[in-house]
Amino acid sequence: MAVCAAIVGKENSPKFFCCVNPDEELNFQYKVLSSLDIIEEKLNPTNKPGTEIKELYLGMLYSLETCKIYGYVTNTKIKFIIVVDSSNLQLRDNEIRSMFSKIHSEYADMVSNPFYTPGEPITSKLFASSIKNIITGTV
Amino acid sequence: MRSSVSYILSSSTTEPNMSHPDYEQFSHDHAAILILLKHIGSQLKPKTFNKFYDRISKINEVKITDSTGQVRNITVRFVKEHPVENNDWGDFQTHRRLLGLVSLGKYDSQTELNEVCRVHESLKVKYNATLYDSRCVLFGPAKDSTSGSPTDVSSSSEDTSDPKTTVEEYTTPSNFKTRALFYEESSVCSDLENQITEFINSLFWVLESKKLERSREKLERVSLLYAPFEKKDFVGLDMESRQNKKRCTGRMTKHLGDLCLQAGLIAESLQYYTNAADILKGVNDWLWLGAAYEGLAAASALVLYPNMQRNEHFQRIGSLPEGSPKKPNPEAHQNNPTVVRKNIPNVLAPDDISKRYREAIIHYSKYQNAGIIETEASFKAARIAVEQNHALQAASFLQNVVYINLSLSEQEKIQRFETLADLYTQIGFNRKAAFCLRLAATRYVSPQNPNPNWSRCYTLMLQSLSGHKLLLDPIEMQEADQGWAVLQIQILQDLIVAAKRAGYSALATRHMTFLLQTMWPHLSPTEQKELAIQLQSLSVQCEGSPVPLVLDSGVVVPPANLTDIPLCAGFVLRDSKPHLRPKVIEKEKEDTGPFLFTPIHFGTGSLDRRKDKSNPKMDFLWVENEVCEVSLKLINPLPFELKVSNMRLLTSGVVFESVPETIVLPPDVPTSLTLSGWARESGELEIAGYSTHALGVKSNCRLKYMSNTFPFMYKIDVVPGLPVLQISTSLPQSASFSNFHDDNIVTSASVSLYHGEGAQCTVTLTNDSQIPIEMLDVTISSVLEQNLQDEIFRFDEEEVKRLLPLLPDQTATFTVSLYAAANFLAPNTATSPSLPHELNSGLFSSMSTSLPGNSLSRVNSSFRSSNSGHSSLAGGLTALFQQQPISSSAVEAQLKLRYSGGAGLESQHCRTSTVFFMVEMLPSLQVTNWDVMPAETSSQFYLVLDIINLTTQEMELEYAHAKCMLVEAQESCRVPVPVDRCPLSKLSDFYEEYNHSKTSVDVDKICSEHIAEQVNLKWLLNATDSSGLASLKGITLNSRMLDVVRMSPLQWDVKINGDAIHAQEDLSCEAGDCMELQMSIGNSLETSIKELALSVQFYQDYNNGTLNYRMDTRLAIAGTPKKILSVLEPQETASHKCNVIFFTPGLYKMDIQCYTPDGASVSTGPLINTGHVWKFTPPVSIQVK
Repeated sequence: MAVCAAIVGKENSPKFFCCVNPDEELNFQYKVLSSLDIIEEKLNPTNKPGTEIKELYLGMLYSLETCKIYGYVTNTKIKFIIVVDSSNLQLRDNEIRSMFSKIHSEYADMVSNPFYTPGEPITSKLFASSIKNIITGTV
Repeated sequence: MRSSVSYILSSSTTEPNMSHPDYEQFSHDHAAILILLKHIGSQLKPKTFNKFYDRISKINEVKITDSTGQVRNITVRFVKEHPVENNDWGDFQTHRRLLGLVSLGKYDSQTELNEVCRVHESLKVKYNATLYDSRCVLFGPAKDSTSGSPTDVSSSSEDTSDPKTTVEEYTTPSNFKTRALFYEESSVCSDLENQITEFINSLFWVLESKKLERSREKLERVSLLYAPFEKKDFVGLDMESRQNKKRCTGRMTKHLGDLCLQAGLIAESLQYYTNAADILKGVNDWLWLGAAYEGLAAASALVLYPNMQRNEHFQRIGSLPEGSPKKPNPEAHQNNPTVVRKNIPNVLAPDDISKRYREAIIHYSKYQNAGIIETEASFKAARIAVEQNHALQAASFLQNVVYINLSLSEQEKIQRFETLADLYTQIGFNRKAAFCLRLAATRYVSPQNPNPNWSRCYTLMLQSLSGHKLLLDPIEMQEADQGWAVLQIQILQDLIVAAKRAGYSALATRHMTFLLQTMWPHLSPTEQKELAIQLQSLSVQCEGSPVPLVLDSGVVVPPANLTDIPLCAGFVLRDSKPHLRPKVIEKEKEDTGPFLFTPIHFGTGSLDRRKDKSNPKMDFLWVENEVCEVSLKLINPLPFELKVSNMRLLTSGVVFESVPETIVLPPDVPTSLTLSGWARESGELEIAGYSTHALGVKSNCRLKYMSNTFPFMYKIDVVPGLPVLQISTSLPQSASFSNFHDDNIVTSASVSLYHGEGAQCTVTLTNDSQIPIEMLDVTISSVLEQNLQDEIFRFDEEEVKRLLPLLPDQTATFTVSLYAAANFLAPNTATSPSLPHELNSGLFSSMSTSLPGNSLSRVNSSFRSSNSGHSSLAGGLTALFQQQPISSSAVEAQLKLRYSGGAGLESQHCRTSTVFFMVEMLPSLQVTNWDVMPAETSSQFYLVLDIINLTTQEMELEYAHAKCMLVEAQESCRVPVPVDRCPLSKLSDFYEEYNHSKTSVDVDKICSEHIAEQVNLKWLLNATDSSGLASLKGITLNSRMLDVVRMSPLQWDVKINGDAIHAQEDLSCEAGDCMELQMSIGNSLETSIKELALSVQFYQDYNNGTLNYRMDTRLAIAGTPKKILSVLEPQETASHKCNVIFFTPGLYKMDIQCYTPDGASVSTGPLINTGHVWKFTPPVSIQVK
């Protein structure tokens, strides 16, 4: 399944980062960071004036030799990013979508926690484990 | 985008390969004539060359009218370098051919000129295959002859033997077959542009002729054009086949398109390209089809976006605000292209340009050897996409570049990344651009790179910072608080390594400081420790200091301060010591009453606190040229000992001299530190923070940038210099202060005094400062009542005034007299003495001869008095001593000295020092009982005192003049003190005015004061050699006593046998003798006394308390013993005479008295009561033999 998931805040600062293989975390961080350029470009309203983006799922942002990066933006401009190994061909677009919506609902639950300050990095262990479960497909 | 059939069609890789990509290409360059502008010879400075290069390269567009009268727009591209291999691709894309050569050189001598010419010729040979024409710009030596000499006139020397050149001093060698342009380096070279335009013209005509030549060839018969690597592919193939024929035609058509485009015939070129594409598609000639598509797209772009230009490439300067990426305004070119498009057929729609490019790239990608063509095409496509404002499209083209596998030199790879970064920046993909810059940076120092360049690496790393939202200014950085912390840390660490390796140790230190300062919260404790240690080792090479660093590129690296290492947990300005605090002279109010302070804040505590924050002005003052202190509480956040040295205060406002401090902070334990300094001027001082030197980095830690919230700065007023007074006393310091806690106390003086003892305390004042003391104000304060205090503590104010001015380093003294004032009268409870009548009547007999010790036992019962407190003084003393009636007590007082001088006095400031006085009062003696007795003379009386020695030593008591007595410790004794009677003058008020409001109490008081005045009990303790004086202040007297004490209003004059009687004198006579008594009374009062009876009475005192008045058998009186005076006017004297004969011998006493009979008095003063008796005291005693 996916190898990495990230949640990026409104101001493009990372809020949560989860990697299946912790050794590659830095590597993935670079990739996710670069993909923000594309997300920003896609969200730029001047590009398509008048067309409000209804679809939260942004599709594949870009693909590299080793991985493909998918993006998803909530209405509050929280970005979810999933990195999928390029060799993983059985993962369809639909599955990515469902993965995103699962992450979104997890995120919504987490934000509802009164002890969480919106905008702060997410440190909840429970949240981390459920995201990990989602991206590894064990849910 | 890349074709999946990559590399299938390219057979060999050994073929010569265009190995030098030109990343800077634009699609517009397809239409440009390529001219090499070459710097030759070593004489010409690179700077001069660049100047001329810039000048010449401005001529990038020339309008030339062709033979048909049509105006052609010819574009030119000047390059400084052109690898000759790239010419090989000239058949494939003609714009790759180098058509012109302009070399610039300088010479000073003929040999140099020859050399320059030789180099030029060799360059011509190098590019011989494609070169159409060349020029050589030669800068000769400065001519000093005339300015009018043909310096600006180019002398064309097509032929060296041309006589024109003989004008020149130097001649080009004979084999030099180029048109040389001679200039002087410093001159304006005004016709240079014309010469270059002329040169371009000549190039155009050659090109035009070639184009015409090509177009006239029959398409069926043209030879096959090759890309360099294709040559082998076609060996042995049947060139005559229909397929190949078409291939030849297609390629030639495409070639013609290229030529037309270069010759300024866009419409024609579009036609050719379209045709070529059709033909080549049919024969599956992918490479050339791609080229045709690219040409088509390029030509279309030229039509649609004629203004697309290379933008000036300048380095971004870090301190400049980052503008949004430069995106051309899409509307700017909107109208123009649509108009043009209609005029020219075959022009592609804007969207199609990208599509065609995409196709072209896919076709190129099928050939491994066409990698560079593909790369360049990708860049060109991306640039068009940028122009079209299609960021995502541009991004996809750029993304493609990365996949192209080229065997490039490291330098070219780096260039590729730099170009990518530049283009990513243009489309606003700052993160991607930063990523590419980082890749480029790492390439500079990769192990594959034969000559690593850390300096370049560092520069690129620095440029990549902004893409990661890293600002160089730590303050802005912390305020922004955004970005990808994990990556930022990584990037900063890389940057530090690069800076270190590049030898920029100052920058390495700076960046490490920045990293610690800004990323501290994101670092794990181990990282914090490691980085701190790294910083320490970095700073060994170059100490960090809070100054901006300016790089060669103009980038300014702002200072980074370690404001939180050590962490400041407290910053408090210290008031000076209480006695040194300056105070405003007028405003000083010591006692402001009890209700000005309330600890109740009515819930406004938080508001108050906020108010304090907003107003950091201190409510106390500092003094010029005196030590001012700020106390800090520092916490070392690192797990090892941190040495912070050179800590100083950062101030603004008045001049401040700070003392550097050094401290070693143990980990995690708050440590207090005091920073001190001197304000060298008066005025407002602002304290903004402190500077530190920790981990080898000098930091200016300003309060406003600290993580703990402090006010932005503290303000404090510095007053002009004030003198400092050093005060000492001659008395020993007291062990402790009890009652008063005045902060100003500088010294103390304590003394033990027996009641009644006096002492002198010399207060020594030394002016320690350099300012003369011009004002000195001494006061004493205590809880005692004012008059009591004045009695105990006394100093001469005049003496103090005489001390002024006290010059610097001068010493002066004044004396404070201390006196252990006390009530020496025992506080007995008996309120009113009630003397038995017998004593009253028989007093004289018992006291007749020897007063002391004679009849004490009898008197004791009634010998009492009280000091129930008539006078306020006595009352105060009683109040003071009643708690500890016998034991010692202590009196505390403060001697306050307010002083000022110099400029401080002018600004109405002073200082207050206090000397604490503690007087321990030990009881010396006490009068337990007292009584009065008439003395032998009428002018005096005896005050009989029971005195107890309360000390533990033998006391010598001098109770009257020359009358001494020794009293053992704790023993008591009775002493008679002869006292002058209270004169009438003191009491006259009471006789004059018949005012009943004045009670006998007042009389009592006057008499009491009289006694106190008269009686001084001098005591001396032999063991300690201390002496004192006990006073009887507050002694109370009852009415009987008063009679004795005060002077009689009647003036007695008694004579016996004509001789006046002297006190204590024993008269003697024989029995049977007649004694003549002559007495007269005078009224000393101002009023007349009425109804006065004068009587003479004799009696015998048996000295056992019995007085025998029955003298009928023992004596006889001739004349009346009693005389009634109706009135005695003031100053009038009444006299009476009688004679007496004693019958038997013995001791007789004569009592002469005067009284007003009962009911006789009508209106007299309070003193002249009815029944009042005045006696002549003492009674006259007569010894009859």
